[in-house]
Amino acid sequence: MIEMQGISRIYTREDGTPVPALRDVSFSIGRGEFVTVRGASGSGKSSLLNIIGCLDTPTAGIYRLDGEDVSGYDDEQRSTIRCRKIGFVFQSFNLLPRTTAVENVEIPALYVGGRVDRDRALDILGRVGLAERAGHFVSELSGGEQQRVAIARALMNDAPLLLADEPTGNLDSAAGESIMRLLADLHREGRTIVLVTHDDSVAAWAQRELLIRDGVIASDRQLPPLHGRAASVAAGA
Amino acid sequence: MNLTKTAKLALLSLSRNRLRSFLMMLGVTVGIASLTALASVGEATKQETMRRFKRMLGTFDMVIIEPGGASTRGMPSLATVEPVLKFADAAAIAAEIPAVRQVSEMQFALDLDVKYRDKTTSPSVIGVAANYTAVRGEELAAGSDITPEDVASLARVALIGADVVTDLFPDQNPIGQTLRIADVPFQIKGILESRGVGPGGASMDNTILIPVTTASKRLFNRDYLTAVIAQLEDPTRAASAIADISALLRERHGIIPPAEDDFRVSSPEAQVMQITEVSSTLSKVLVGVAVIATLIGGTVIMSLMLIAVSERRREIGIRRAVGANRRDIMVQFLIEAAVVALAGGIVGVLIGVGTTLVITMLSDLAPAIMWTAVGGSVLLSVAIGLVFGLQPAWRAANIDPIEALRS
Ligand SMILES: Nc1ncnc2c1ncn2[C@@H]1O[C@H](COP(=O)(O)OP(=O)(O)OP(=O)(O)O)[C@@H](O)[C@H]1O
Ligand SMILES: [Mg+2]
Repeated sequence: MIEMQGISRIYTREDGTPVPALRDVSFSIGRGEFVTVRGASGSGKSSLLNIIGCLDTPTAGIYRLDGEDVSGYDDEQRSTIRCRKIGFVFQSFNLLPRTTAVENVEIPALYVGGRVDRDRALDILGRVGLAERAGHFVSELSGGEQQRVAIARALMNDAPLLLADEPTGNLDSAAGESIMRLLADLHREGRTIVLVTHDDSVAAWAQRELLIRDGVIASDRQLPPLHGRAASVAAGA
Repeated sequence: MNLTKTAKLALLSLSRNRLRSFLMMLGVTVGIASLTALASVGEATKQETMRRFKRMLGTFDMVIIEPGGASTRGMPSLATVEPVLKFADAAAIAAEIPAVRQVSEMQFALDLDVKYRDKTTSPSVIGVAANYTAVRGEELAAGSDITPEDVASLARVALIGADVVTDLFPDQNPIGQTLRIADVPFQIKGILESRGVGPGGASMDNTILIPVTTASKRLFNRDYLTAVIAQLEDPTRAASAIADISALLRERHGIIPPAEDDFRVSSPEAQVMQITEVSSTLSKVLVGVAVIATLIGGTVIMSLMLIAVSERRREIGIRRAVGANRRDIMVQFLIEAAVVALAGGIVGVLIGVGTTLVITMLSDLAPAIMWTAVGGSVLLSVAIGLVFGLQPAWRAANIDPIEALRS
């Protein structure tokens, strides 16, 4: 699904000095994988996620998404890809204030053709366990509930690839746990998930771990398969 | 993203920020309200002026020939005009100028005592041809008109205006009665329909009409005219008729240019246009001021939108992340600006129309809502929204989504 070849991302500071956030990164992620990206603060995790999510373009290298080379795409083409294929989940939820849960879930549908399907948005909210909260303003929801709304929004256009940057970072452990269980369910349905986290117990839900250090991949390993499931059972009990 | 969705989005966003939307509307509302009111009141005034002139002049399909050169001023009466315009001149104009359908000779006199029993008044006394009422488009309220036979036989008959009726016959039917004009008895055969006030505000009903031949030979003993009305075959060709009449009169009066004419020929329509032009210049200036006010309303929209854009960076980032491209964001903010300006414009039009109705009612004008101004205002407000929304929308579209989503 994701193929990175020699990807670099070099930011330029205001004074002109270059900041290399990613250096010659190559790896690939198959369809249906659940991968966690880990590394120290400033190591380049978010930079990588932004490129995977077509919010940003690499300075050098080739990025293929579903076999399509998207590295040279312009704003409009990248927007279309984000719309159709990618669902973002952020640490700070990033919901629209003064807007109801279901209205937030509908937003991605505005940017594909056709009409906005309110029933579908309500169905998805039901799937993340928020059927009763659909008409509530987001300010009336708890952090965990807000993050569920954000996940529902990511599912609105049926994105096959979910990108989560510290989705549990603003939540207490119980709420974080339930968010992870939801992500694990979505993974089981066949979605590809890339998750950035600092938290070992969150990372343990993934099947594979990419470790980044100073903009390069320092290690790439499979995680023990049952670990996440066991934690889930333990937490759910 | 399609327009209906964007418009819904704009309405939603505007309704969630009521105070800001209200302030954004306000500037445009004030501008458009004054624009609509000024244009409409100006139009009402212009129409009223036209109506008054029409009432004074009757129809516009004529030119008026008066004695005296171009510099002559004031209302020409028998006492003041040069004795140069003769019955024969009028007959020649009718006979020799093909563009003229018919002529109507006039002798106009002021300050004559008109008496009935013990009552006296001094209306204007006008000697007129039998075709006078037809040429002028006047009507009789009662009785019968002056006939060609009356003119041919120098009959002592009169038509009187409504003011004369009031002054001399307050509680009596005047028809058939005999009044005295400068001690000459005339029998009243008809009453003129009231014409109200003229452009100067004076009553146009204080008149007596008598056959022009009777006036000339039996009353005034003058063989010259104070005016000849020439009704035209084709009112759109007044200019060439004026030229032909002038040439004929110069020839008849032995005037060789550059000697000055001893007469003038004018088209009432051109005069009215000139007068209404002055007042419409004034109203154009006022409308210009209102347009500027509306433009200021536009800059209010622009500054508030710029603030809104920076407050809504996160929203923009979110929309970009879920698939909006730059154009979607641009269109969203442009539509918001257009919708808020349109709403301001519609409220402004309503206030403006209301104000116009009040003003015209208070100043006794017929309400003339200028629908072109209303339509123009609505278009103008949308245009203002789009133009002044452009910069904020551009800024919104170019916000970096990654930066907007951080924090
Ligand atoms: N727009 C930018 N301009 C300049 N430098 C940047 C920019 N964005 C990120 N960087 C730099 O690039 C490096 C990688 O940043 P990135 O946000 O990818 O790190 P991260 O691994 O996500 O860190 P954290 O765990 O703190 O979120 C950092 O040194 C950061 O300061
Ligand atoms: Mg980060």
